Order: sequence, then C-alpha cells, then structure tokens
Amino acid sequence: MASTEFQNGRRSIEEAIKPPTIGERLARYRVILADAFSELYKSKTAFVGFMMLVALFTVLILTPVLTKYNPIKPDYTAFLQKPSAEHIMGTDRYGRDIYSRVLWGGRRLVTIAILAVIFGLAIGIPYGVLSGYYGGWTDSIAMRICDGLLAFPGILLYLLIVTLAREWKLEGFWNDLILIFALGFAFFPEAARLVRSTVLTEKEKEYVEASHTIGEANLYIAMCQILPNCISPLIVNATVRLGFVILIIAALSFLGLGSPPPTPDWGADLSSARDHMERNPLLAVFPGLAICYTVLAFNLFGDGLRDILDPRLAER
Amino acid sequence: MLVYTINRILQMIPVLFVLTVVTFSFVQLLPGDVIDTLIGDEEAEDPELRAFLMKEYGLDKPIYTQYGIWLGKALQGDFGKSLITRRPVGVELFESIPATVYLGLVGIGLSVIIALPLGSIAAVKRNSATDYTAQVTSLIGISIPEFWFAIMCVILFSLHLGWLPSSGYVSPFEDLGQSLYYLILPALAVGFRQAAYTTRLTRSSMLDEMNKEYVDTARSLGFSESKVIYKYTLRNALIPTITISGLQLANLLGGTVVLETIFAWPGIGQAIYLAIIDHDYPLIQAGILVLGIIVVVVNLLVDLLYRVLNPRVALG
Repeated sequence: MASTEFQNGRRSIEEAIKPPTIGERLARYRVILADAFSELYKSKTAFVGFMMLVALFTVLILTPVLTKYNPIKPDYTAFLQKPSAEHIMGTDRYGRDIYSRVLWGGRRLVTIAILAVIFGLAIGIPYGVLSGYYGGWTDSIAMRICDGLLAFPGILLYLLIVTLAREWKLEGFWNDLILIFALGFAFFPEAARLVRSTVLTEKEKEYVEASHTIGEANLYIAMCQILPNCISPLIVNATVRLGFVILIIAALSFLGLGSPPPTPDWGADLSSARDHMERNPLLAVFPGLAICYTVLAFNLFGDGLRDILDPRLAER
Repeated sequence: MLVYTINRILQMIPVLFVLTVVTFSFVQLLPGDVIDTLIGDEEAEDPELRAFLMKEYGLDKPIYTQYGIWLGKALQGDFGKSLITRRPVGVELFESIPATVYLGLVGIGLSVIIALPLGSIAAVKRNSATDYTAQVTSLIGISIPEFWFAIMCVILFSLHLGWLPSSGYVSPFEDLGQSLYYLILPALAVGFRQAAYTTRLTRSSMLDEMNKEYVDTARSLGFSESKVIYKYTLRNALIPTITISGLQLANLLGGTVVLETIFAWPGIGQAIYLAIIDHDYPLIQAGILVLGIIVVVVNLLVDLLYRVLNPRVALG
C-alpha cells in the first residue's frame, strides 16, 4: 500500500507513516473481506459450507435467547413426548426439552472441538517447523515419534487417555480439559508432518539463504519467516480436522466416556435414546442430525477451501 | 525389493517402541498401586501376597526393567490375567479377533463394491450432474457418524419393518445363512462410511490416470472409449485406491469399537469396550496393543503389495 503512495508522490513521508485513522482501517478491512468473499464465492462447496457454519455459530451464540427450557432440569409431567408446539423436538425420558439440549450440547461440543484443534496446532506447528528446519537426527527421531502416535488406530489413543481420566474420577472442567488434551495430542503429529513437509521445500529457497547471510537467528528464520508460508495447507487441515474431532467426541460420549449424565451431550443423548427406540424413535434422530450438520459444514468448508487455496487440486 | 522390505521392517521398530511405551505407561498412570490394579480388591489386603507379587511382577525393580519384563512377556503372548474372568488375556483377545476380521473384511468388500462404480462414473462424467451427486453424497457419507447410521438402520429395518435382527452374532462356520443374516446391518454400517471415502479416492485417482499420455495414445489408436476407460484407466487407478483403502483399516478398526458395542458383536472392539466399563486394565492394555500391532503390520503389507503392483514407484 505505502509504496504505491510514494511512487505516485501524492503524499509526503510524514503523512504516509502516520498511523491510519479508524475510517481508513475499516476501508482497508472491507477490501480484504470483499476479496475473501469473492474468492469464497468461486467454490460452491466452500460457500455452502461457510453459510452453514455462519448459521451454526449464530444459533450457538444465541442459544440462551433461542431456548426457553433448562436443558438439565427434569420435568416429570412431560416425559417422552412427541414433537409439539411446546417442545418442537419432543422431550426425553426425564421430560427435558430435546431442542434446548441439542443447542446447549452443541455449544459445549463445538467449543471443546475448537480448543482441541488449537491445542494440537500449538504443539504441532513448532514441532514440525523445528523438525523440518534442523533436519538430521532431530528430524528422524521427531518423525518416528509421530509415526508411533499415528499408528494408534482410530479412537484407541483417545480411549486410553479418556479411560485414565475416568479412573482418576475427573469431573466437569477437568474432564473436559483432558478431552481437549487427548484430542489435541492426537492431532499434533498430523499437523507437525504437514508443516514439516512444507518447511522442507521452503528452506531451500533464496530468502532463507539471504536471511542466513545477514545473520538472522535460526529460530527467528524458522518461526517468523518460513512458518507464514506454511499456513494455507494448515488451515484446510485444521478445518477438516474440526469435523473429525466432533465425530470422535460424539463417539466417546456415545460409549459413555464423555461428560457425566446431566450434561447435554449429543453422543450421550443418542446413546440414552436407544432405550426408547420403540416408543419414541425421533429421540435418536435430532442429536444425530445435529452431528451430521455440524460435521458436514466443516467438511464442505474445508474441501472448498482446499480448492481455493490449492488451484492445482481444483483443476481435477 | 529385498533391501526395501528389510528397510521398511526396520522402520517399524521405532513405531512399535512408541506403541508399547504408551500402552505400558497406561497402567503406570492409573491411580493407586500397580498391585491393586493388577490383582483386584479381595486379594489386595494380604501383605505377604503383596510382597510375593511385587517380586513376581518385578515391581521392586526400576521402571525400565519393568518395561523390559512386560515387553518380553507380551512378545510371548502373555498379557497377564483378566481381572474379571481370571482367564489369560491373550486367550480372551485371540478368541475375539475372528469376529472383528469377519466384520471388517465384509465391510471393506461391501464398500469397494459400492464405491468403485460410483467413483469411476463420477470421474468419467466429470463436472456433470452425476458427478456432483456422487461427490455430495460421499461428502455427506463421511459426515454421518457410523453409530448414528447404525441406530437409524436398526430403527428402520429391525423395529419398523422387522426384516433384520437388531443385534447378535452367529459364527459363519456354524450356520452360514443365519450368520449372514446377522451380518447385514453391522456390515452395512461399517461399509457405508468406507464407501464414501473410497468413492472420493477412486474419483481422484481415475482423474489422475485419465490425464496421462497413454490414454491419449490409446484413443488415437482408435480404441473405443469404454475399452480405454475400463481396460486401461480403471485398472491403473485401482492401485492407489486399493492401497489407501488398506491403510484406512486403521480407521475402520477404531470404528468397530462403537459398532460392535451397538450390535453386540463379540469382536475385539467390544472386548475393549467391556474391559473399560469393568475396569479390566490388563485387557484394555493388551487389546489396544494388539489392535495397534495389527494396524502396523497391515500397513506394512499394504505398502509392500503396492510396490509389487506398481514397480514404477522408486524403492526409496
């Protein structure tokens, strides 16, 4: 921005280095946003996924306004009801409103999933950058550790960690924290490998050599100069991972290894709905649909983002 | 090839090391004394017995020696005794492996039967309505949690229509007809998600192949389009597809923990689940280790098979 202004010679240096006013900043953000949006519009999948996510987050943020029943307070006058004007998704065996349980459960689930992915990135990014940048023995050992962790089939690593949490009788906040730790910990090898492979190609480029020549510190080159070029595959990976993490959390709580009973939870609600499949099969439908919608939204958005950020793949 | 195979087997060692260290640490990280954990409540009071067991299990030795002893026993298939049934854990696990393999293989087979035609048609009619339908369907397919799909199938086919049993297992060696009858729903639940993955894979590897020069050559020689596609392209596209579905076995085995629980399928997944519920630590530890090893070995075999099928790949 600034350089074109100098070339045009319309503004003095004092004017140019003056911090931008709020109005100017907003205008600049509007341009960036408009750019991003028009990119988004190019891929139908990304656009649909984005809209689904906007709807999801709006509903989850507005949950306290949108629900009128307490999700954990039993109401023994209205148990196992079919959907009606009062309870639009019906009630469960304790007379709790399914609609409000689905919404409150979603708030919790999506928050945990996002924190878990952020935690995984926070370990995986530095791990991958340093491993790729230093290479040699460090790299070999670091990658073999990743291989070992990735060899755990599907949900087994989470099963081990969550079982430990259960044996230590952790509850509420601590239980959620362990869940976030387990899911993030299982994600970090994947993120690390992804970053490492980009770093391996990036570090051969001229700008890295140039930085070495002028004597920048290794750590600074790795984290501040190489890392920003590895971001776009990471964003795609993290988005798709969010959908996967939500599926895993739902599966764990379906097995009864999630949060303890009164907490609204899609997986656990599905599991308890199995006892009433004959009387009220709809009970098992809504939490499941909620999982599908959320995971699909993240998958669509991630898939579309991949097409936008990696045009080579989009040509296929 | 021999050098590559040996190299690849050597690479497995660190992976297996991490796997064993993690499963070994699991029991160490449990609350309470290891003796309490391993022998159960009623015998834990006797101090003489405790001292004897300390020696017997080598618990008076440093932790790395304990790991060595445990590993040595595990290599001989001695994983200790189940705390619940008092039978050797190894025997319990090996009895449950056939049921899991049976379900897994039929599930994968089913998915390939669905996915290959769907994926290749999508690739051939690229960017058509058929292609988009196949793509959207498979994206929805990977967003549906398998346990919810299973429950919906049970509600529809067992409770509503009454066509199929909702759970249970009959060995195929006892009564093949009955066995298949009980297998349909679980295999469908395993297969559909896998089918969604494989469809996406088939489509992209078909597109890769169709862009290659030999396809143009075949066309210019006047071969019919169907011969070009089905005789040459599909055959080459099968190689990566089958390889990656082999590698997906890890996901599949993880998913069977939940599915086997729903359908009361007496496989290794259900064994692990019941062990978690019953606090049967030796069984949890051994179950997860055995599943992990199966995955590592299958990955190795698939990788070697890939080199055999596709000699052009550099033996790196």
